[in-house]
Amino acid sequence: MVEVRLGKKMVPVRRLPEKLAPFRELLLANAIMLSEIPSPTFGEHDRARFLEQRFTECGLQHCAIDEKNNCFGILPGSEGKKTIMVSAHLDTPFAPTQDHTSRVGVGTIHCPGIADNSLGSALVATLPIILERMGIRLCNDLLLIGCGGSLDYGNLGGIRTFLNEFDSPICFGLALEGASQGRLQFCSVASMGGVISCHVDRKVSSLSAIAILNQIITRIQELPCGHGGELSLVLGAISGGVSYKLPARQAQLKLQVRGDSDGEVKDLVKKIENILNEFARPLGVSAYLEVIARTRAGGLDFSHPLVKYARKVMGILELSPLDDYYSSTISSYVEHDIPALCLGITKADNINYQDEYVEIGPIMKGVAQVIAMLMGVDGGVGE
Amino acid sequence: MSNLVKKWLRENTFHHSQFWDILQLIEEKQKQNLRISLCLPTYNEEATIGKEVVIFKSELQDRYPLLDEIAVIDSGSTDSTCEVAASFGAAVYQSADILPEMGFNRGKGENLWKAIHQLTGDIIVYVDADIKNIHSRFVYGLVAPLIYRSEIKYVKAFYDRPLVSRDKVRPSGGGRVTEILVRPLFSLFYPELTAIIQPLSGEYAVRREILEQLSFPVGYGVETAHLLDIYAKWGMGAFAQTDLDKRVHRHQQTRDLGKMSFGILRAFFKRLKAQGAIGDLPELSPYLMRYQALGNEYETELIEIFEKERPAMLEVEAYRKKFGR
Repeated sequence: MVEVRLGKKMVPVRRLPEKLAPFRELLLANAIMLSEIPSPTFGEHDRARFLEQRFTECGLQHCAIDEKNNCFGILPGSEGKKTIMVSAHLDTPFAPTQDHTSRVGVGTIHCPGIADNSLGSALVATLPIILERMGIRLCNDLLLIGCGGSLDYGNLGGIRTFLNEFDSPICFGLALEGASQGRLQFCSVASMGGVISCHVDRKVSSLSAIAILNQIITRIQELPCGHGGELSLVLGAISGGVSYKLPARQAQLKLQVRGDSDGEVKDLVKKIENILNEFARPLGVSAYLEVIARTRAGGLDFSHPLVKYARKVMGILELSPLDDYYSSTISSYVEHDIPALCLGITKADNINYQDEYVEIGPIMKGVAQVIAMLMGVDGGVGE
Repeated sequence: MSNLVKKWLRENTFHHSQFWDILQLIEEKQKQNLRISLCLPTYNEEATIGKEVVIFKSELQDRYPLLDEIAVIDSGSTDSTCEVAASFGAAVYQSADILPEMGFNRGKGENLWKAIHQLTGDIIVYVDADIKNIHSRFVYGLVAPLIYRSEIKYVKAFYDRPLVSRDKVRPSGGGRVTEILVRPLFSLFYPELTAIIQPLSGEYAVRREILEQLSFPVGYGVETAHLLDIYAKWGMGAFAQTDLDKRVHRHQQTRDLGKMSFGILRAFFKRLKAQGAIGDLPELSPYLMRYQALGNEYETELIEIFEKERPAMLEVEAYRKKFGR
C-alpha cells in the first residue's frame, strides 16, 4: 500500500480523505469566497489579492502579485534544495457584470466559475493550512501560485511570464483544476487557437462576409488533417452581421488546430492562411487569421514514474483516471522542461455556463490525491 | 443634532475594518474568558443558510477561533434548511423543542428568545439567514465593540454609509419600513434613537446580561422593542453600531412590509403607553385590514398579526436554573 509521511507517522493513502475531513469547510469557504469575486481574463487582480491575503496569513514567504495578476508565495521546505510548484488559473470566462452569487446545498455548490477554476484556486489557498495542521513539512520548497491571463486571449500569459522570470529550478509542476475528478493529464498537445475575421468594404462590394466565411469554412474542412488523424480542427464559435436586411459586413470564426506535433500544426495553419489569402483577393474583401493562443507538444510518457505513481494513488483512492491525457496547462511547463501533471478535484457539470456547479462529496478524495502526489514527489518519486 | 448624539456618533459608530485584526480580538476575548455564540434564526432559508454556515465555521471557528458555537434555531422549515445547515457543522435546534413547556410560536422573535436559553455564550450574535454576500465581518464587526468596550451592551449593524459627492449627501438609508415608519416615529418620540442608522437590521450582538432582561415580541416588532427597552433602561451609551458595508438580501413585497409595519406599531405603542409617553390608547386591534376590488364589489381582507410577547428570560425558572441566576 502506498503510504505518505505525515509528521513522524506513515499514513496509508486510503485513509487520507478521512484525515482531511476536518479541513473541508476551510476549502469550501475559500472556494465560495473566490468564486464570488469576478475574475475575467486580465481582470484577476481582486482574486489575486484575496489569495495574497491567505498566503500572508499562513506565513508564506515572498508573497507578491506581479504585473500579470499572478499571485505567488513560497512555503519553505526543511531542506529547500528544490522547488515543487502548484498552480491554478485564477481567470474565468464570466464577465464582472454577471451574477457571481453562489448557492450552497447539501451536496453541491452552484456558482459561475466554481469548477473552472475557483475550486482549484481555493485548494492553492488552503494547502498551506492543511499541510501545517496535518503536521506535514516538505523537504523541498513549495511554490504556490494563482495565475492570471490563462484563458482565451490570455494564452497562458501569466504562468509563462512567471516561469520565464523565476530563477530557481522547479522539479515538478502540479496544475490544479476544480474539475473533473479523474483528470490525469501529463501531455501538452500542439495547438493554435485563433480567430478568422472576414470584412467586406460596403463601398466597393455587396458580398456578404458570412457567405465568404462559409466558403472559407468549407475549404478548411477539406484540408487533410495529418496522417492517421493526428491533427484535428475545432470550429468553436461563430458570429457576424447585424441584421437580416443587410449583407454582413463582418464575420468571425473562432477555431483551434490541435496535433501531436508542433510542425504539423504549423503546416496546417500555413495552409489555412493560404486559403484566407485566396478569399481576400476580390476588391473590398479582407480575410485574415489572428492567433490568440499557442501551445507546444510535449510532456511525460505513459510509463514515467510520476504518471505511474499518480495512477497508483488514484487507484487506491478508487478514482478512475479519465482517458484524456492532454491539457494546454501542461504546455507552459513543457516549454521549461518541467515534468508536470494536471489533476481535477471533484465532479462538476455545466462548466462555463451560469449554472455551473461542483459536487461536495468527492472533494476531499480529490484533495487527498493532491497531498499524496506532493508527498510522493517530495519523497523522491520521479527523480 | 444634540451634543450627546454627536458624541455618540463619534465614539460609538464603527466600521468593520477597524477590527480587521481578529487575532487581537481573540486574545482580548480569551483574557476576559468570554464565550460567543452565533444564532441564525431560520424558516425556509435553504438557498442561503449553507453558505453562511460554511463561511462562519471556516473563518471564525476553524481558522480563527472567535465563535464558540454556531447554532440554527429553526421555526419548522419545510425545505432542506436544517439538513443543509447540519451538513456543514451547525448545531440545529427546533424552536418548538426548546423550553417546550412554554409552548411555541412561529416567528423570528420567538427563535431569538429561545436562543438565549439554548445557547451558552456570554455574547450572542444574531445574523439573518437570508444574506447573499455573507462574510465574517458580519460577526466580528459586531462583537468587537462588546469585547473592547465593557460599557457597550448592544451593537447594531448598518450598511452602505452615506455618500458625499459634489456637496450633496445621500442620506444613509434603511429599508422602506425604516424610512417611512420607524425613523418618523423615533423622530417624534425618541429623537436620539434616530442616530441608529438602520434600526431594523437583523444583525446585532448583545450581552447575555441584557438579553435575559428583555421581553421579546415573537414577530416583527422584536428589533424595535429591543431598542426602546434598552434605551429606557440603560440609555444611549449602551448602544453602538458598526458599518458592515454592503448587504445583499431578498427583496420583500410591499404587502409583506405592511404586515411588518403593523407588528412594529403594536410593539411601539405598547411601549409608549408603558413608559407614559402617550395618553390612553384604545385597545389595539390584532387585525391588519385591506380592501380589494372584485368587479364593482370590495372585499375585506383581515390579516391577523399575532404579536405575543415573551417575558424576560430571567422570569423563566428553567432558564434561571440552567444559568444559575
